Amino acid sequence: MTAVKPGVRHQTDASVGPMDRVRDWFANGGLKDRAVLLLTLIILLVVVLSILDAAGQTSGEFNSDYLASTLIAYVPLALLAIAELFVITSGRGGIDLSVGSMVSLSGIVFAMLFQQAGLPMVVSIVLAVVFGALLGAVNGFLSAYLGFPPLIATLATFYGYRSIALVVSEQRPISGPEISEFYNAAKAIELPLIGQSLPLVPLGVFTFLLPVAVVAWFVLNRTAYGRSLYAIGTNDTAAQWAGIDTRRTRMGAFVAAGAISGLVGVYTVAQFASARPDAGTSGSGMALPAITIAVLGGVAITGGIGKLSGVLLAALLIVWLNASILLVVPGNDGAQAQLLALGLVLLGAALFGQLSLRRRRLTPVPPVTGAVPAVRSQ
Amino acid sequence: MSVDTAPGGPAPGPAPAKLAQLSMRRILPPVVTGQEIVLLAVIVVLWVLLGVFTPAFLTPGSIGPLLVQVAPIALVGVGMTFVIITAGIDVSVAAMIMVSAVVTARMMVSLDIPAPLAVLVAIAIGLALGALNGLLIAYGRVHPIIITFGTANVFQWLGLRVFDSSTVNGIPGTLDFLGRGSGGSTLGVPHSFAIAVVAVAAAWWFLRYAKAGRSLYAIGGNANAARLAGIKVQPRLVWVYAITGALAGLAACIMIATGTSSLDQSVGSGKELQVIAAVVIGGTSILGGRGSVVGTLLGAILVQTVVSGVTQLGWPTQLGFLFVGIFIVIAVGTDLIRERARRRA
Repeated sequence: MTAVKPGVRHQTDASVGPMDRVRDWFANGGLKDRAVLLLTLIILLVVVLSILDAAGQTSGEFNSDYLASTLIAYVPLALLAIAELFVITSGRGGIDLSVGSMVSLSGIVFAMLFQQAGLPMVVSIVLAVVFGALLGAVNGFLSAYLGFPPLIATLATFYGYRSIALVVSEQRPISGPEISEFYNAAKAIELPLIGQSLPLVPLGVFTFLLPVAVVAWFVLNRTAYGRSLYAIGTNDTAAQWAGIDTRRTRMGAFVAAGAISGLVGVYTVAQFASARPDAGTSGSGMALPAITIAVLGGVAITGGIGKLSGVLLAALLIVWLNASILLVVPGNDGAQAQLLALGLVLLGAALFGQLSLRRRRLTPVPPVTGAVPAVRSQ
Repeated sequence: MSVDTAPGGPAPGPAPAKLAQLSMRRILPPVVTGQEIVLLAVIVVLWVLLGVFTPAFLTPGSIGPLLVQVAPIALVGVGMTFVIITAGIDVSVAAMIMVSAVVTARMMVSLDIPAPLAVLVAIAIGLALGALNGLLIAYGRVHPIIITFGTANVFQWLGLRVFDSSTVNGIPGTLDFLGRGSGGSTLGVPHSFAIAVVAVAAAWWFLRYAKAGRSLYAIGGNANAARLAGIKVQPRLVWVYAITGALAGLAACIMIATGTSSLDQSVGSGKELQVIAAVVIGGTSILGGRGSVVGTLLGAILVQTVVSGVTQLGWPTQLGFLFVGIFIVIAVGTDLIRERARRRA
């Protein structure tokens, strides 16, 4: 978890005191490791809220049950942030503005297959995910093969998909008995065996988020494709000379984002017990929060850098921060304060990251006598 | 902040005037580029087709309101064109429009301020918010899209605080000279559209002939090279974003004037993407270093024509945005093909 490679310095120089080590860790950008920073912020948040709760300043009870129940909003946010992780990491201005529209459209398609065509649930889910992947493939084709800047390609498909979702559904939500029953897929359950001692966790965390997170982690960290993705994001030309099919790799990132969006589409149908044509685009939409969380999680907008752990923790921080704000500032004011919090956290993280990066670059930390300079891991 | 190793401005040198003229001609784009002629042709074809299928379309009663709706997109589009030419982006314009609109509307209701003061207040608020964007982007050295995502959230919070969970009601008709009504146009030309055209003309001159304007292209082409050539990149960027904010403030006045006597919280919502769409349809490269405000004006007219046209044909309103998406793909696609041909030549 720490940024400094363990053991390199401290074994060679036993005379370094604990304070020196701490200072050392900070100076080498210990808090720069996004996962550590986010984890610190999450713990801080929970501690502060617990104190406020004990002092009677909250409108509701702040406990593990409450935190667990808010995870129902965590699932779509974290999933779409993972989608953005793939696309943004692919570099060359990679970004996907259309995820919200893909969520809406896949949700509608899922409801049509499941409710109106009467297909089995599993088949409908698979087809909705495949459909999402196809939508993502259009983005990928425009960006990777035709050379559209991803911002423009996905702006165009954002308008296109949103429009199709609203026109096809005639701007009415699709609901029915089958979909109402499907609502169970998102509700909270008690885990078997250990459930007695744990708070109720929404089922969606295990059925939707966990499988995607595991597969995404494996693909990014343990496959050749994952390595290629980081390579093209870091330096497109170099990757090409290294024999990587940069276009296919970039295409893959957009397809993955589309497939994940399709899955979120299915999840929103379960969450709201109906398929809303504006599920992913109402208000300011789902794309902007997803991009925000990816960036907050340490994904570099210039590509090539980004970790799953950072994205998952960033989403958790935002969801719990929003939930805590509602406890402290009830009602409409709380909903507004969430906007302020999201904006300030994003600006703070981005500026802080840039500041510490610059300081490190300008004044390199002089190594402790006899020590080997620590190698930064990515 | 910038390292002043190079002398200010381009080195004059003893080059003969003829050579200077020649190089100027090489650098300056023609008055109307290929993209703009294509856009103009598409708009004419669309207008003729719409005129044939819906006889009510090509009448002053239909074109006037259309142009009034084009005005805010074109105005903010001028600023966005500057921003995108410098290889930046500003997704907070909708939030800036909202803050300017609600503060101005509240002041009009409670203080009954005269029209010039209302316009000034709106512009000043937009300028201040835009300058904040610019300062964070220029000196924070974080990608503009991240900064403006962040400030968009903060501005939205600010606007909603001023709204105070309700609408602003009973707005006086002080700004009607910018609106859709009979007081809003002279000889059939809406004032708001005329203002937008004047802004586009001024911006066109600025980008083509002013040193500061040319420097925006240099910054977008290569910010490091621009800095070494003596351009003070950071102050320029602050101004570019501040001007975009000021134009969003001006657009907010038109939004107040074209609305009813009450203002609700959704004012400006979605405008940022419409403006970006107009700019890229107009041929400005999102990668920076290339772009024109005339194209942006035509892009804004095209977007609004498609949206209004679909409604007038009796098709589902939402279908209009599918066409907007398709037009973005076609416009940018043809530009990419031409760019490829240019490189091969």
